[in-house]
Amino acid sequence: MDALIALLFIVLLLVVLGSGLWIGLSLLGMAVLAMQFFTDRPVGDAMVLTIWGSTSSWTLTALPLFLWMGEILFRSKLAEGMFRGLAPWLNRLPGRLLHVNVIGCTIFAAVSGSSAATCATIGKITLPELDKRGYPKGISVGTLSGAATLGLLIPPSIILIVYGVAANVSIAKLFMAGVIPGVLLGLLFMGYIVVWSLRHPEQIPAADAALSFAQKLYEGRHLLPVVLLIAFVLGSIYSGVATATEAAALGVAGSLALSALEGSLNRRIFVEGLSSAARVYCMIGLILAGASFLTLSMGFIGLPRQLAEFIGGLGLEPFALMVMLLVFFIVLGCFLDGISMVVLTVAVLLPTVQTAGFDLIWFGIFIVLVVEMAQITPPVGFNLFVIQGLTKRDISWVAKVSMPLFFLLFAFVLFIYLVPGTATWLPMVMQ
Amino acid sequence: MRRLLDSIYAAMGWLAMLGLAATFVVIALGVMARQMHWDIPGLDGYAGYSIAVALFLALPATFQRNEHIRVTLLLEKASERWKSALQVWSLLAASALSLYLAWFSARMVWVSYTTHDIAPTMDATPMWLPQLAMAVGAGGLALACLDATLCHFTGRPFFKNASVGEATRVE
Repeated sequence: MDALIALLFIVLLLVVLGSGLWIGLSLLGMAVLAMQFFTDRPVGDAMVLTIWGSTSSWTLTALPLFLWMGEILFRSKLAEGMFRGLAPWLNRLPGRLLHVNVIGCTIFAAVSGSSAATCATIGKITLPELDKRGYPKGISVGTLSGAATLGLLIPPSIILIVYGVAANVSIAKLFMAGVIPGVLLGLLFMGYIVVWSLRHPEQIPAADAALSFAQKLYEGRHLLPVVLLIAFVLGSIYSGVATATEAAALGVAGSLALSALEGSLNRRIFVEGLSSAARVYCMIGLILAGASFLTLSMGFIGLPRQLAEFIGGLGLEPFALMVMLLVFFIVLGCFLDGISMVVLTVAVLLPTVQTAGFDLIWFGIFIVLVVEMAQITPPVGFNLFVIQGLTKRDISWVAKVSMPLFFLLFAFVLFIYLVPGTATWLPMVMQ
Repeated sequence: MRRLLDSIYAAMGWLAMLGLAATFVVIALGVMARQMHWDIPGLDGYAGYSIAVALFLALPATFQRNEHIRVTLLLEKASERWKSALQVWSLLAASALSLYLAWFSARMVWVSYTTHDIAPTMDATPMWLPQLAMAVGAGGLALACLDATLCHFTGRPFFKNASVGEATRVE
């Protein structure tokens, strides 16, 4: 009977979400309904106290600041310089400049915490450039949408912060755990480009004039600002000067300083970035607020227990559980964006996951990988939307050319299941 | 009236930006203070209040620019009549929920004020002060939702960026 109520609740939530009601308010409304019907506690007071507590917490400050940092960098010349620095080094590699997508995304992911920001910023620079040089559209768009998902995995990552807060796991450890899988995944994508290029050599345009090593080094100077910024932000975390939460403020300071140095910072740009960051944070914050109360309300009515008992009662082996969660998340990904997916499900799933013996750090990386897959799966895939906006091509085409990358991500999830040390080794060693 | 409402949302948006900038300043100050061995009590508390200010006061402006995330799958596929029905439902539900939130936020502020509730952290701030941001922000969102609903029924544009349900109405 209780399982039936749980099921009914989930279906109703999906219906409300699907109806187009703003996600944060949908969560809030469902939480109010659930508490009203299943408990006799004062709903409104519990709601505002929970929301106030979760939205004024110190840990959460990293999120808006990283968003702001992304907005500043988005308006600077930093990303553009990065590509000019990279291009000469890739002449000899099969697929040549296509790799700029992957390398660019990997590097940009290390300064920005979001996949959509990575996708938009890198795509704005690479797609016209690759197009101009005659690279086939399908492969350049596909590798961009896939590689941009690395923004979620490579620290600093907003979604890992959200997961860390929701699951009560050290954010610094999660960041470290993301490094090796992020780099491996980048290499996997590059491997795919190499293989594709060797199979379709006629579609890859001829190489640029070769530069001498000294010239290459000189062009490489454009990479310097990005490298410095990454070193500054990551270094401050791992040297203990700043906590992972405070590192975001240093990132903002660093990117403001960089864009001031290169002369792209003026009052209008500053205000635009700040305003855009405030609104993006507000959008995410409303969802977080709704989800925090939904979590409380679900705790009262015992839905997490229901779901945990349901999945636990299935007596699934860890592998079957993982596959089931994979399917569950990809289905959810059809409706929700990555962050609300994490916020919504983590609190519900955590007990089950712990019972199954999964490491919580590992599970964070797993969730991020699955969310990456969801980012490039229609109908709701943030990267697909961003690229649709960039290329003005239909979303079904974008989804189609992103498909191979989806399967690569799937294969990689299996890989980290078989070799969990990929994620857990580095945080263990760094302890 | 239109201009008054728009400037209320915009003014709150500016205050939210100030809140975000303040968050940065407070946290940067905290990092510096630790390096310099200054003793500034309660910074953590202030950083938390600043992001709350940034979040809640930005609600109406973000809503007006149609930047709050919603699932548009059905809205895009539906016929014109259904599209309008879904939009009306969304607007009415959003108005009701944000009013509910605003009412209880205001109540929380009132309770904090009358019981002289102060922060348990080092800053010992009277809680009603930062909580006011939540009440004002939620109130602003409620106002914006009601505004949008009214605009929808009278056929005037409300959203700055065309929303799916609204797209056909904006000239």
